[in-house]
Amino acid sequence: MRELKYQSQQLYMEGIIVGIQDGAVTMDLKGRLGTLKVPRRMLVSDFELELGQEVGFMMGHPEVLDAAPCQQYIENMREKTKEDENCV
Amino acid sequence: MSITVETAKEHANDPAVSCCRFEAGTVIDVANLEDPAIFPDLEDSGLLEIGEDCLTIEQVLGAKLIKTIDALTPLKADMFDSVKAATVATEEVVEAPVVEAVQAPVATAVQQTVTAGNVLKIKIGEGKDIELEIPMTVQAGAAVATEQATVVAPLAQEAPVAAALSAVKSEEKVVRNLTKKHYKISEVKIGPETKIDGQVLYIREDICKDAVDSDDLVVDMKFEVITPDMYNKYSETFMDVQPIATKEEGELGHGVTRVLDDVIMVVTGTDEGGVQIGEFGSSEGIIDRNVMWGRPGAPDKGDIFVKTEVVIKAGTNMERPGPLAAHKVSDFITQEIRNALKAVTREADSVEELVQKRRKGNKKVVIVKEIMGQGAMHDNLILPVEPVGVLGGKPNVDLGNVPVMLAPTEVLDGGIHALTCIGPASKETSRHYWREPLVQMAMHDEEIDLCGVIFIGSPQVNSEKFYVSNRLGMIVEALDVDGAIITTEGFGNNHIDFASHHEQIGMRGIPVVGMTFSANQGALVVGNKYMTHMVDLNKSSQGIENEILSNNTLCKEDAMRALTMLKASMAGETVKAAERKWNPNVKLNNVDTIENELDTTLELTNNEQTLEKSKKRLAIYETEENVG
Repeated sequence: MRELKYQSQQLYMEGIIVGIQDGAVTMDLKGRLGTLKVPRRMLVSDFELELGQEVGFMMGHPEVLDAAPCQQYIENMREKTKEDENCV
Repeated sequence: MSITVETAKEHANDPAVSCCRFEAGTVIDVANLEDPAIFPDLEDSGLLEIGEDCLTIEQVLGAKLIKTIDALTPLKADMFDSVKAATVATEEVVEAPVVEAVQAPVATAVQQTVTAGNVLKIKIGEGKDIELEIPMTVQAGAAVATEQATVVAPLAQEAPVAAALSAVKSEEKVVRNLTKKHYKISEVKIGPETKIDGQVLYIREDICKDAVDSDDLVVDMKFEVITPDMYNKYSETFMDVQPIATKEEGELGHGVTRVLDDVIMVVTGTDEGGVQIGEFGSSEGIIDRNVMWGRPGAPDKGDIFVKTEVVIKAGTNMERPGPLAAHKVSDFITQEIRNALKAVTREADSVEELVQKRRKGNKKVVIVKEIMGQGAMHDNLILPVEPVGVLGGKPNVDLGNVPVMLAPTEVLDGGIHALTCIGPASKETSRHYWREPLVQMAMHDEEIDLCGVIFIGSPQVNSEKFYVSNRLGMIVEALDVDGAIITTEGFGNNHIDFASHHEQIGMRGIPVVGMTFSANQGALVVGNKYMTHMVDLNKSSQGIENEILSNNTLCKEDAMRALTMLKASMAGETVKAAERKWNPNVKLNNVDTIENELDTTLELTNNEQTLEKSKKRLAIYETEENVG
């Protein structure tokens, strides 16, 4: 876990559940601030999930860790699109 | 918040701090004192600073104030007309003679959860039910602290356990036998038919077409044979790692099972748009940088992988039938190999006997394994016909996630087909259950009587969580056990039921030990007073989900710590309070002490530091200043 320069800046955010799948829940952040999609396991709820329910949580601003892009991820993205020679 | 007489007795030697403003002339009673349990939080937030001259609770009770003091003031001698002299009966002093008498402490590894965090609750007793909630710090809101404590119980605590356990002659009764016949495979080839010839496994070249036809949701499929020299290749995210085994005789959990050694099934898949099944961020990459070799749920170094890559219809990758279809068609290949394995006529290379015994007279113990049950990718098939098969297995989600009892041999015979594929470092794969270290160790432990393994799903909604947790409580009550170990995989809302299971079992007066990945990133979201015995499954150096398959799952060393702790707890021992922050050294200290006391060597597993570092890990997680 790398030290963040701004990690104390957590804000209270609200969102709306806009998509419910068997494996995932999608939430729009209020104020057109983006979308969050998480596995169901990561969402805490006292109630059956329904579209339109509001959610609240604390969140900070994502912070870019390094100026240089990570080569490994770039390679993986490239690999994903490749056909594998050894497959039958 | 004032304290009760009982709390005052418990904390007689802790610092005395006023809970409210009190006028000069007040005679200090328990109602005037703050609860020492929340001191660390108050100190963290700067509201309280306790100096060395602060009196103890025992000293101030009955003393009269000569000054008016504010709330949260540490009480000192100059505030009173007179105070009692401190008795020397501090905890350490009391324990010392015990320790001396019995040589050395025995340790049990413990992690304790404290749900203080972001709200300070102050209750004013005299005002009758007035409750204030004051945010303490915004910063603390991030994660509720999970803390780890070294439990140094005097050896006196351990000795009676051993004595008690050995004094009662247990009556052994064999319940069932499971024989695993191992057949070594040294090569996997593609051929005209699926067969096993000596140590060579042939897989039919056109098998994928038939497999694809077996499920409407599957549009394409291919498989790849990965040999050790190809470990440096790129792979999609591993959805599951499975043994290849089949029943020769009897039903799952007893009789004879045949298993192929050194070859495993690995399931991967995407939808038509190329989106990975259960896609929540990447964990694909070069195999030997992303797999923690040798973990119960991971491949062993040297294993040959039969790795499927299933393509399912667009948009189905997040719905339950999608991932299930990927497992089903992969199992089509496995089933054909199983049929070939049934036809093998040669002698097995090795034979393993698993005997489940009940040991009446010993402390009766149940293992509770909490599994995911929130939906797609949070599901498991329970008790298929073939080991880790699909046919006949019931999804725990469809069973309502209610507790289901399995015999230890059923667990170790592939009774759980895991569909969980989120959180690679902490998820339990099918192979994990096949080689479950805690079940194996508890089953063979001659000092306890393992009565069974309960699987309980973790539903999405809290009301359902408490519904299933209540059923667990009733089952455990009816079982009349002396102790329980609760384990869970991953982290997230499953920790809510994990906590509830502790409560359900603990409130019945049964000692309970919990096991979960926690450390930094998996900090528990809730806690209760029964969560006092906790084993952290973390192995990563930084205490996080670092995308390395099976890195933070239950291993032999954790099973050993949990069993030792449960035995101490069943003998009536208390647990020392937790440290404020996660500290990896606590586990090491505990392991050392266990080794010293039990005169045994507990080999610790490697972690990701032994793998070649991927640039990803180096860049994102482990900058030089962070490591070590």
